[in-house]
Amino acid sequence: MDDSDEALMARVARGDEAAFRELSRRHVPAMLALARRILGNSADAEDVTQEAMLRVWTNAPRWRPLAAVRTWITRVVVNLCLDRKRRAPWVALEAAGEIADPSPGAEHGIESSQLDRQVAAAVAKLPARQRTAVALTYNEGMSNAQVAEILDTSVSAVETLLVRARQSLRQALGHLIE
Amino acid sequence: MNTDRQIDKLVAHHLDAGKDADSAAAARVLAALAHPLPRQKAGLLGRLPELLLDWQFAPAWPRVAALVGCAALGLAIGFSGVDRRIDGLSARAAQPTNFASAVFEPEALTGARP
Repeated sequence: MDDSDEALMARVARGDEAAFRELSRRHVPAMLALARRILGNSADAEDVTQEAMLRVWTNAPRWRPLAAVRTWITRVVVNLCLDRKRRAPWVALEAAGEIADPSPGAEHGIESSQLDRQVAAAVAKLPARQRTAVALTYNEGMSNAQVAEILDTSVSAVETLLVRARQSLRQALGHLIE
Repeated sequence: MNTDRQIDKLVAHHLDAGKDADSAAAARVLAALAHPLPRQKAGLLGRLPELLLDWQFAPAWPRVAALVGCAALGLAIGFSGVDRRIDGLSARAAQPTNFASAVFEPEALTGARP
């Protein structure tokens, strides 16, 4: 049996719950990591990922194989993340404090590297769209064209987002490199 | 340029570090998705081809060909006049050929047109 994402999606579109669970098993971990990178919050990331997968299920019959399934799911997750960032009240980073990470070994991870924390803080300070472009490029290894498709914008706009993000990161992290 | 590359490396390393650390969270999301799923959104129009296929409304091509053949034969017979009776032909020939004047001729007394 063809177990490609597209074949699974075709089955999901016919209401096959087993195919949906297989598709979820494949994509939930990566989508969760992506949502966490964009939102900077594990609990919100879980909510968004769950909602995104439910939207994939409910809208599956309308899906047309114009883009890869992974690209489509990523787009749903990114849109939900950006919506949530837009709706969330602004809170100063210092006021937000450290977010508890329920994953095993999280405490050790937090203590492990001062450098990692500084990079995390610098990435967290980026505007949502810049952070999304950075996460998709570095985390998912996507091309600028793929990122543009997901963010529903042009390739040159993605390049601008990445250039600005790198400028901000250079300002924030430059002293660590020199 | 070198600084950019080092920053790229730092960010990539940072993002990559947390990539697979969410197995517990992923398990929670998958468990939540194991509950009964909501109804899928699909209009009747979108489901029509599937419904027709399920009801085996797919056309049987030999029968369609036979139907088209019969229709074509009927048209050919109709146009060629093979089916017309000989006496019908002669009666028709006796009728006036100018139908327009016969139909639209005004009445002699009132002058009304039909």
